[in-house]
Amino acid sequence: MAADPKMRFLVVDDFSTMRRIVRNLLKELGFTNVDEAEDGAIALQKLQAGGFEFVVTDWNMPNMDGLTLLQTIRSTPHLKHLPVLMITAEAKKENIIAAAQAGASGYIVKPFTAGTLSEKLTKIFEKMGKA
Amino acid sequence: MTATNDTPDLEALFDSIAATTSAAVEPSTKPSTKQVAASSIASTGDSDELQDLFDSFSTAVPEQDKLAADGLLPEGMAADSDAWPKQEVVFNQIGQMARSLHDTICGLGYDKLLEKTVSAIPDAKDRLAYVANLTEQAACKVLNATDVAVPVVDDLNSSTNILANRWDLLFENKLSVVEFKALAEETRRFLRQDMQQKTAILHAQLTEIMMAQDFQDLTGQVIKKIGVLAQELEGGLMKVLLQVVPETKRTEEVESLMNGPVINAEGRNDVVVNQEQVDDLLESLGF
Repeated sequence: MAADPKMRFLVVDDFSTMRRIVRNLLKELGFTNVDEAEDGAIALQKLQAGGFEFVVTDWNMPNMDGLTLLQTIRSTPHLKHLPVLMITAEAKKENIIAAAQAGASGYIVKPFTAGTLSEKLTKIFEKMGKA
Repeated sequence: MTATNDTPDLEALFDSIAATTSAAVEPSTKPSTKQVAASSIASTGDSDELQDLFDSFSTAVPEQDKLAADGLLPEGMAADSDAWPKQEVVFNQIGQMARSLHDTICGLGYDKLLEKTVSAIPDAKDRLAYVANLTEQAACKVLNATDVAVPVVDDLNSSTNILANRWDLLFENKLSVVEFKALAEETRRFLRQDMQQKTAILHAQLTEIMMAQDFQDLTGQVIKKIGVLAQELEGGLMKVLLQVVPETKRTEEVESLMNGPVINAEGRNDVVVNQEQVDDLLESLGF
């Protein structure tokens, strides 16, 4: 992957198991600089503090859900450039459309494979490179 | 109300209705309402009790009706002369609905079924908590095992790589006799020590991962039981609903964006079933 291996990721999911899995997969892909948040509200706090370059988020979470987090990121001037990849069990077409319209950089449905994550990340990095 | 220790909730419900009713009437009528309540509940067995509750409720309503007509209602209610008849209509309707629901439930023998299922729900909650707990433990065990195993594998991988590179040099005649002797010795040590130790570690972690799957047997049993319960409850409630609810339009499915995983996608075209479909959809939308 062409992206900087020091790139700082924020993994947002209310289940610690899923955060651990995503963190491990990112590590496999060479990204070791990963922080975690257990819902959108905590994620937003961490993002506001700065230093993150990539957000991987679940949708259905307490306090603040992933879509709201995404919308908030897109409407915040100093965060709106952040790539946001959604990894979620929500599989209704309207979910996918809503996420795309809100400006998601990618959408992965659970259960997912390491290959899918790698592929989506590559795609997002390609787009970022072009931009 | 000593005979009714089996249904405290029902009793509380009744008390609250009785209290409202007696608050709405003159003090002189209060004892009679209470008496109806007390005697009816005290004299009943478990399901007759419900019957009497509704009887007393429905007799209380006409009583209020009369009082309203006589202008005996307390201030506030009497002052708002328009509000009371409306409330009365609502009370009557609720009373009739409850009556009809009650008759249906008893008539069809569902009271016992509902009683059974209601008492089974707290048990089902505990069982589900147990499932959540076991699956979480299993996930943690597996993740811990891989945390241990992955560095060991990486280490083996890099060690074999280093040795292999040196063997390549030997085959290219680039090693002296002394270097070759050292390589042979190191390789032997690697095979005898590192390889043995590390594969033993990996074996132990694989066993750990295997054993972490023991939850499936336990959760499977528990989930099957809850499935049966849900089916009974659904069947019972559905029959009651069909009896009680007149031909009403089907309530629309609640539209929500937070539904969790799709359990059964068969026959649905509003959901995707794999990542390919997600990608196709996004592509078709130009994303």
